[in-house]
Amino acid sequence: MSFDNLTANWSKLRIKRPKIDQYKEAPYKWAMVIDLDACTGCNACTTACYAENNLPVVGKDRFLAGHQMHWIRIERYWGEGSKHTHEFPEKGAQFLPMMCQQCEAAPCEIVCPVGATHHTPDGLNSQVYNRCVGSRYCSANCPYKVRYFNWYNYPETSWPNPLEQQLNPDVTVRTKGVMEKCTFCVQRLNDAKSKARTEGRTVRDGEVLTACAQACPSSAIHFGNLADPSSTVAKMWMAQQVELADFPQKKDEQREQDEKLAKNDAVVRGYRIFEDLRTFPSVVYLERIRSSEV
Amino acid sequence: MGGVNLHKTRKILRVLDGACRTLRIAAVFAVVALGAVAGAQAAQAPVPAATAAAAPSAATSNAIAPGAPSPPTLSAPPATYQPGGNYQWHEPMQQGGAIGSQTIDGYYALGPVVTQPIEFPHYIHVEQNQIDCLYCHTSARRSAVSGIPRLSKCAGCHENIESVKDKPRIKLLLDYWDKKQAIPWKKVHDLPDFVRFSHERHIQRFIFQEDRPTREVCGYCHGDVGTMTTARRVKAISMGWCIDCHEKDHKLSAVSDETSKGPNDCWQCHK
Amino acid sequence: MSGNGVSRRDFLQAVGLGGTTIALAGCGHTSIESGAELVESYVQPENFVVPGVGVFYASTCTQCASACGIMGRVREGRILKLEGNPESAISGGKICGLGQAAVQGHYSPDRLTTPLLRDRGSLRPTSWEQAMVLLNANMLEDDTHGRRVWLTGPTSGHQQVLLRNLVEAGAATDHLVYDPLSTAVESAVNRKLYGVDSPVGLIEKAGLILSFGDDFLGAGGSPVAAARQYARFRRQKPRGVLVQIEPKMTLTGANADRWIAIAPGTEGVFALGVARELLQRKDFTGNLSPALIAAIEPYTPAEVSRITGVYGELIPRLAAMLWERSPSLVLVGRYPQGHAHGSRNTAAIALLNVVLQNQGKTLMRAADLPFPQLAPTNGDFKSLADLNQSMAAGHCRSLLMHGTNPVYSAPDFMQFAANLKKVAFKAAWVTEVDETANECDLVLPLLSPLEDFGTHVASNQFDGTEISIQQPLMEKLYPETRSFGDVLLDMLRAVKPDSYKAFPDYYAYLKSAVINAKAAFPSEASGEEFWENALSAGVLRRSTPLLPLPAKEFTAEMIEQPLGSAEDAEYPLHLVPAVSPSMRDGRPANLSWLQESPDPLTTIVWDSWAELHPSTAKALQVREGDVLIIKSAHGFIQAKAYLMPGIHPGSVAVPIGQGHSAYGRYATNVGANPLKILDPIFDQQTGELALYATRVAITKTDQSERIAKDEGATDLQQGVKLVATLAADQVDLTKETPFVIR
Repeated sequence: MSFDNLTANWSKLRIKRPKIDQYKEAPYKWAMVIDLDACTGCNACTTACYAENNLPVVGKDRFLAGHQMHWIRIERYWGEGSKHTHEFPEKGAQFLPMMCQQCEAAPCEIVCPVGATHHTPDGLNSQVYNRCVGSRYCSANCPYKVRYFNWYNYPETSWPNPLEQQLNPDVTVRTKGVMEKCTFCVQRLNDAKSKARTEGRTVRDGEVLTACAQACPSSAIHFGNLADPSSTVAKMWMAQQVELADFPQKKDEQREQDEKLAKNDAVVRGYRIFEDLRTFPSVVYLERIRSSEV
Repeated sequence: MGGVNLHKTRKILRVLDGACRTLRIAAVFAVVALGAVAGAQAAQAPVPAATAAAAPSAATSNAIAPGAPSPPTLSAPPATYQPGGNYQWHEPMQQGGAIGSQTIDGYYALGPVVTQPIEFPHYIHVEQNQIDCLYCHTSARRSAVSGIPRLSKCAGCHENIESVKDKPRIKLLLDYWDKKQAIPWKKVHDLPDFVRFSHERHIQRFIFQEDRPTREVCGYCHGDVGTMTTARRVKAISMGWCIDCHEKDHKLSAVSDETSKGPNDCWQCHK
Repeated sequence: MSGNGVSRRDFLQAVGLGGTTIALAGCGHTSIESGAELVESYVQPENFVVPGVGVFYASTCTQCASACGIMGRVREGRILKLEGNPESAISGGKICGLGQAAVQGHYSPDRLTTPLLRDRGSLRPTSWEQAMVLLNANMLEDDTHGRRVWLTGPTSGHQQVLLRNLVEAGAATDHLVYDPLSTAVESAVNRKLYGVDSPVGLIEKAGLILSFGDDFLGAGGSPVAAARQYARFRRQKPRGVLVQIEPKMTLTGANADRWIAIAPGTEGVFALGVARELLQRKDFTGNLSPALIAAIEPYTPAEVSRITGVYGELIPRLAAMLWERSPSLVLVGRYPQGHAHGSRNTAAIALLNVVLQNQGKTLMRAADLPFPQLAPTNGDFKSLADLNQSMAAGHCRSLLMHGTNPVYSAPDFMQFAANLKKVAFKAAWVTEVDETANECDLVLPLLSPLEDFGTHVASNQFDGTEISIQQPLMEKLYPETRSFGDVLLDMLRAVKPDSYKAFPDYYAYLKSAVINAKAAFPSEASGEEFWENALSAGVLRRSTPLLPLPAKEFTAEMIEQPLGSAEDAEYPLHLVPAVSPSMRDGRPANLSWLQESPDPLTTIVWDSWAELHPSTAKALQVREGDVLIIKSAHGFIQAKAYLMPGIHPGSVAVPIGQGHSAYGRYATNVGANPLKILDPIFDQQTGELALYATRVAITKTDQSERIAKDEGATDLQQGVKLVATLAADQVDLTKETPFVIR
């Protein structure tokens, strides 16, 4: 980007983000809804992500050192047990698929010393490998800890011939010293947008899916264009009364003020993680449901 | 921005901006050691801050950076050749392109001359026979890559053109066809693996939307391949060079007055 | 990555980070290359092949026996990634992690690329000609010299047909099907009760599922199809409720509304306790024989609680819920089957379905396949035991193996490897040399499943009947690998040249067979078109409705239960060899993605572990990471301790699948194999190996190591709203946005 462009658009680039209706006129704003009730914790999504995005397998020792590279991971928490028995997890385990939340006010974007991470016009948090010099400030700032650093030169060891034939040519193979993270499969999005543009339209709902959403056997991950009011994801966000640029959400404010409303409001399953940190993530999670009768 | 005095830097660049693009690049080349050209060894020479001293000189389009290898002898272009050919350019080629392109007596390629398995003469097919670029490079309108024509397409014509069937290059071609062996063409414009470039978007915009002639549009980046034998790189094809074009305000379509620039979102081009 | 060009970073380093030079450096300086790579050059590709754009071809996944339809993204003539095939009623466009990893098996750096022949003790490369000569010489003899056996993993489709034809033609004496994780006990009970091996349990229609260890979401018969059913199950109004009862938590158990730990082997007692409660209901409308009712009578809640360890108040509540939330569904997993009384255990659980009258509602029968010869053979343990006995007595002369690794999975007490040495000629077909291949005289390199043709039929099909078509997703990587179907045809041609001369190869055979089957499928296409359509869709479908299930009479003997297991002072704990969704029987252990995929419940990677309940660990003074020796009467293994609240306190669980001694670079010498130390205990009715009846003792070593796992220092949310849980009555799912669950 030339200096002219930078300085002419300075005010636009430095707006307070996000604004209400920021994406009203935009053709795309990619977002997700993850139904924690449907997620079974099977890890199909994590393996699909490895396949799609050329993720390196790091091996046991580096896993022990905390250098794992899974862009999407399934976190497992234990629920509370019943007091009668030996402290078993009687409500089962709680699985949480966690990947880059593509925050609208991303704490990682503002601290990169070389500007390797920005917000794209279609609402994603970009990571430019070329620009990254490996300061790792961004992952220090990320509250979700979804940024992964290439501590080693994985292309040397992770793909012994002919495993490198499996690599996706649409995704860079990262070398040592760059930060990487979930991209919402931007290569698929670009392909879909290009195809749609050639046909003179925008991408239709369901036409493009991230690898994780496509693999999930129980349809727990929903992906789509929040700027398209007819998309499933937009409808879900609206039904769950979650607004992209709001904190606190109006429904939470109302619930605090009116106890009776809280008890009867049946459709408040949707929430965002670490919302109070004002990151304004683009992923809404739907609370898991468990029957209390048993 | 790393402690640089923005204001001062802007003024310096304004000066350089006034010069034509070719000359500005000439100025940079004059101060940057040559290793950067053609993807050879790393440039290690220190670069002093560009000052107003890099004012445009009377560098002509024939000037090449000192120390460049002398241009190779290439097959002579046809006798009827004129600079730019007989073709009416929308944007004259002389103003675009890097140093050394589009000279009268042959081509000073920016990249190394790539020896192809068959020295395919584009000028016979394009200049003489007026074949459209997209006839052979069909994927350009619907894929990221433009594609090399399938061997059956070459054979489809050449099996039936008796007059040239005994020429040495045609014999080579038909030999491949008989063996049903793919010709191992080498890639001349090979962008780094971390770059996502879509031919489809550029072809769709310039040829189909803005209704510009095909040969010219291809020429913006590839030079006038129609007058070459095998293709060779005659443009910089660097990121800055791409960005320069993306900052131009082009009309959205042939019938519209609305303009737009090319995308400057990092993730559009960086994978 | 372009290696020769100056990278931007190098350049920046060279010039120092001056502000103006950064701005200028973009111009003119480039890392573009010329002449270093080739362009995609085609001779005469299909019309739909566009360079730079991927083509999707349909095929079938063979990582387990689910026969999920998949499609592969192929670019520049090579397969990159697999997705689910939306045309398949089994996968519905979805795919599991195991299926994704099939590409790694295909591109494995340890692929076997030439036939190997044992020569002076070690395996050396040989030719296929030599191999075929040896095969035919050793298989085409008369019976008097001993058995000539084909031993395979679970089979279906035309591969099975050809194997059977070989036996019929006299080129083998028998074809045995072995599955280390066999559910043959359940199949036998089902056959006795309903006349079918595998009734279909309609998960999506059940109001309440009571699953006795059935890991249908994880390592069950058809996890992708079951997960799709599960998604609809949860979206019903009222929402489906899942209760899971098992000695160690499975993936399905982790998703239950109520998970119950139970002493291993006492599941049948619990089922009878629930049945008794149901029988006592005033509105009970069943018809059981008086003998049966009398047999169920002793199982009062107090008695059941004493035997199983589950607290008594739960039983009447569960019974009431089962009745009120009709139709319910009671499922049986591997845990109840793996005991000496496994058949009776399973029968008692099956009785619940009868008492709850689930037949015709959630328990159905799939329509008969018009081609019974293609129907799947699930495999059992008895085949291996029978073979082992033959080998030990010197009665087995030739043994050919495919899709099975008995040297790895057979327990040590069988001494399978030693008995194998008594077989005059043994051969194995593999894509990668494993423990069994290492013991063979001849090892033959297979095409990977992504390079081969085939047909497959799954046993668990919830929706109609589907024959899944497998086709190559790229040209074969190694010239010396061959299709198993081609080899079988060659062997058949040696015995019966006339019958098979019309088929030059397996492809021709399959094409002819599929075209001949056209009449059974609704299609107006011509023969050739029908074949092309089958390849393009990847499946042949018949939308046949499910049929009701007849129920035969239960007898009291069928459900007789032992009253808990005896205390064993020497071996106090129950060993639970746990089946994980990504490792299964150990075959996928050589795939690095799966080794790095954390176990969903423990998040451990690249290792085995011994799961202990925190109370057990405390009693033994064991902490996480302590290296333990787990010893049974027939061997011992070593594993690191992991404290897991989701296990019965009297048990220790070790996952199956690791502990390979020779299976590629990613699986060799990783973890331990619990199958080795199993006791020779067998189900009394069927003779199946009792996987869950082994008793072990734990001793500590003085070593302790860190466990490589994904979970952090804590598995608590610590007051932050990460995964929140709502009670079911607080939510009205019908008010949520409808979307299509594929």
